[in-house]
Amino acid sequence: MPDMTPLTFRILLALADANRHGYGIIKEIEQRDGPEAAPSTGAMYLALQRMEADGLIEEAPSPSTADDARRRYYALTPAGRSEAEAESARLAALVAVARAKKLLVARKA
Amino acid sequence: MSTRLIEVILRLAPRRFRERYAAELLSVYVERTGRGRRNGRWWFDLKEVLGVLRLVTKLHLDRGPGAEGTTKRGGGLMVDLILHDLRFAVRTLRRNPGFTLTAVSVLALGIGANTAIFSAANAFLFRPLPFADEDRLAFVYETNPEFGWTDETAAPANALDWREQVAAFEDLALYSEWVTRVTHVADGEPELLGLNNVTGNFFDVLGARAELGRTFRWEETWDGDDDVVVLSHATWVSRFGADPEVVGRTIDIGGTTVEVVGVMPEGFVFPNDRVDLWSPFGWPTENRQAVWFRRAHWLRPVVRLAPGASLAEADAQLQVVVSRLSEEYPETNRVMGAGLAPMRDFMIRDVRTPLLILVGAVALLLVLACTNVANLMLVRGAERSREVGLRTALGAGRARVMALLLAESAVLSTLGGAAGLGLGWLGVRAMQGMTRLGIQGATGVALDHRVVLFVLAAAVASGTLFGLGPALRTSGAGPADALKEGGRSGSPGAHRLRLVNTLVVAEVGLALMLVIGAGLMVRSFLKLRAVDPGFATQGTIAVQFNVPGRYQNRDEVLDFERRFAELLEGRPGIERVGRIGLLPLAGTSWSSQFQAEGWPPERIGFEILHRRADAGYFDALDIPLVRGRMFGPEDEPDGPLVVLVNETFVREHFPGEDPIGQKIAYDRAAAANPQDSYWYEIVGIVGDQHQVSPGEPARAEVFENADQDWGRDPWFVMKTSVDPLSVVPAVRSALAEVDPLVPLAEIRRLREVWQGSMARQQFILTLLTVFGAVALALAAVGVYGVTAQAARARTQEIGIRMALGARGSKVVAMMLRQGLILVGVGLMLGLVASLLTTRALTTLLFSVHPADPATIVAVMLLLGGVASLACYLPARRATRVDPVASLRAE
Repeated sequence: MPDMTPLTFRILLALADANRHGYGIIKEIEQRDGPEAAPSTGAMYLALQRMEADGLIEEAPSPSTADDARRRYYALTPAGRSEAEAESARLAALVAVARAKKLLVARKA
Repeated sequence: MSTRLIEVILRLAPRRFRERYAAELLSVYVERTGRGRRNGRWWFDLKEVLGVLRLVTKLHLDRGPGAEGTTKRGGGLMVDLILHDLRFAVRTLRRNPGFTLTAVSVLALGIGANTAIFSAANAFLFRPLPFADEDRLAFVYETNPEFGWTDETAAPANALDWREQVAAFEDLALYSEWVTRVTHVADGEPELLGLNNVTGNFFDVLGARAELGRTFRWEETWDGDDDVVVLSHATWVSRFGADPEVVGRTIDIGGTTVEVVGVMPEGFVFPNDRVDLWSPFGWPTENRQAVWFRRAHWLRPVVRLAPGASLAEADAQLQVVVSRLSEEYPETNRVMGAGLAPMRDFMIRDVRTPLLILVGAVALLLVLACTNVANLMLVRGAERSREVGLRTALGAGRARVMALLLAESAVLSTLGGAAGLGLGWLGVRAMQGMTRLGIQGATGVALDHRVVLFVLAAAVASGTLFGLGPALRTSGAGPADALKEGGRSGSPGAHRLRLVNTLVVAEVGLALMLVIGAGLMVRSFLKLRAVDPGFATQGTIAVQFNVPGRYQNRDEVLDFERRFAELLEGRPGIERVGRIGLLPLAGTSWSSQFQAEGWPPERIGFEILHRRADAGYFDALDIPLVRGRMFGPEDEPDGPLVVLVNETFVREHFPGEDPIGQKIAYDRAAAANPQDSYWYEIVGIVGDQHQVSPGEPARAEVFENADQDWGRDPWFVMKTSVDPLSVVPAVRSALAEVDPLVPLAEIRRLREVWQGSMARQQFILTLLTVFGAVALALAAVGVYGVTAQAARARTQEIGIRMALGARGSKVVAMMLRQGLILVGVGLMLGLVASLLTTRALTTLLFSVHPADPATIVAVMLLLGGVASLACYLPARRATRVDPVASLRAE
């Protein structure tokens, strides 16, 4: 598996706590990281298509509360979850290095 | 629009992706745009469109052999190699942003212009019509050499005979080319609807079914069964709230109650988008035998050919029937002919030539753009001959080197294509904005998958066109070249220079053709504008409304009009008021033949036009009374019938005679039985007004007195002492005072009418001028580039000359001479090509010859001047170089 793109990681994060449909993923990214971080619809579907082909995500049954039955929901596969965990660990290690080198100053609350 | 664009682009994605994700992607896009994204909407859309383009490209790149569904992407050596070349090309181009930007912009201009024009051509030439089995549909038209008719509407009795007697016609339907305005009152609010009268089989012949309810039955063509209507989809949605229960409801139109029996599906727009509802004619059966039913021509017949019948067969059978009819009814059909044309050919007969001209012009522009980019690449190739030589020395085959260079063209043309698609999209929107100028059918201009495919083809073709030549040249550089010709400054070799020179000659020649075309249109348009249309276009305005059927007879209608006119005259700003049946320059309505009292039976006046007018019309629009008298109070509604005629009428029909006091009747048999005809006395002669366009001479015309020959759709014209549009509220309130349930149908300044009559010329003129300007700029860039390159290559030589005491002006002259020889050759070749091609413009030009010497000379001077400047600037710069510095450069 080559290096994970930021978008792939963001999508994995968005799906970590709940199954979401395409628009839901975008909304989640926008809410957490700001509207600038949201990918174009085309870019997201390119990522979704690859992630599904790579077995990181899969289609999930729509929840009964779904406002539109035609929407497709996505969920993490076990492989997707472990990839997300591995990437998180990798990033956390990097952050630890950054902190040790005083690149990351703790914000005073 | 952008949703549609994304939809179209997605259609190009691999099927596997499309089936699983396309609909979902689109709905997410729609949701994202739906959130009140007002600001930056444009930017957002652009990013979205580019995102989808990138998606589709990547998906195709991912689909290397054996790559599907696996995590490994790109497999296969060939794909790897191509990807490598492409990546390398992108890197190289990124390092040369100036070159890349120029090349991409030039290509985008060429491809964009082609996209826009192709969208228009596509709408007319390729987009399927909304009818079943379109290729079995045809129009029938009537011809008459005596009247100069070539594609006239038909007389109903003739068409009904064809319907019964031509076996190759499965069926024939008739519809009126006029859309009648009727007042529909709903909840006390009046509104105008466009009504189109048709025969009962109209929808069946076109193969159209109702979305709700039913269409008409053939029997409804006849005998008062006409109190039924079918609604258009748009009207059903906008005026009836898309109410599914509308079928069976009765509505009031113009004072009569009709029943809605059906609603047509979306997309059924015929004969045009002004039709809100259709209604059957409901003719009395005895019309079939009436002479006027065979004499009056106002209906358009459309036929569905029998299965297996060819157009030629049908036409042959039609001709047999036509000649039989002309024997049977000599009074009306003596010289009447008929013809048959495939539906689409007939519908686009007026736009075909202009479209083809524009298609030709943009194709030239694209070739010019490609030439330009080829030139740029050659110049760059010169600078890269060392790199190429080195690669060859290291063992790269020529094919590999060429592949590398072609990858660059591929990247450039892809970028140019993408940017061109964007530009073309803007162009399409601009053209849609021009529909207000009256380009009929331009509403159908839109991007669809055909247009996108066309852009792709254009990009690939241009990439090959501009890439192959330079790649062949540059890749031919052997290891020795790297050291030999190039040297440090990398000057072009002789063979390369020859190609560059050829390209510059081509650029100048192509640009000359385009600019001459634009110049001819400009000159023609100026002449057209200079024609006096025969009436005041400034400070004048006209309004129209429909006097509803509640006003039952002539006196009630005339009383309505008189009260309205009196109210208007009392309003501030309105100076003079008049009535006319049809505005000048708005086309023609009906025409007829006439005889004058005392003429021998064989003398007949053909094709005179009619309008109803009052004295105020001529007064308000400053149309002079040349001789005789105006209509006056003595011409009472029931008194002797009087008419005015225009000067052309006098010239054509009473040459050397005095028409005043003559009596005429619109009946070619009037001389034989005068007691059966209505006779009109000519009381005055008025100035000509152009009826169709300033470019077409005024035709013979008779003005009936609007108080004696009345109608329900009068135009009121006004001369105002203030801005004409500022009186509109006063006009509205005056109309409301007469009857609050009568809405204004039309408000048009006479100036707009005048401009509208030249809209087509203006449309083509605008486009050709834009293309001409772009061509001029491209040629200038080309000439500049090649001179600059030559100057750079000769820096040392110039330095030595200057150091030896040559004056700067001499050196400039030397360089100029070389550039100007190329320009001159280009101009000459372009001139020859122009003389061969501008003839295509003949039908669009007004009183300008396609080889108009003044235009050609002016354009050549302009182009020559611009090109000389493009030569002079770099030459001049070369002499500014410090001789010492230039020598040290080696």
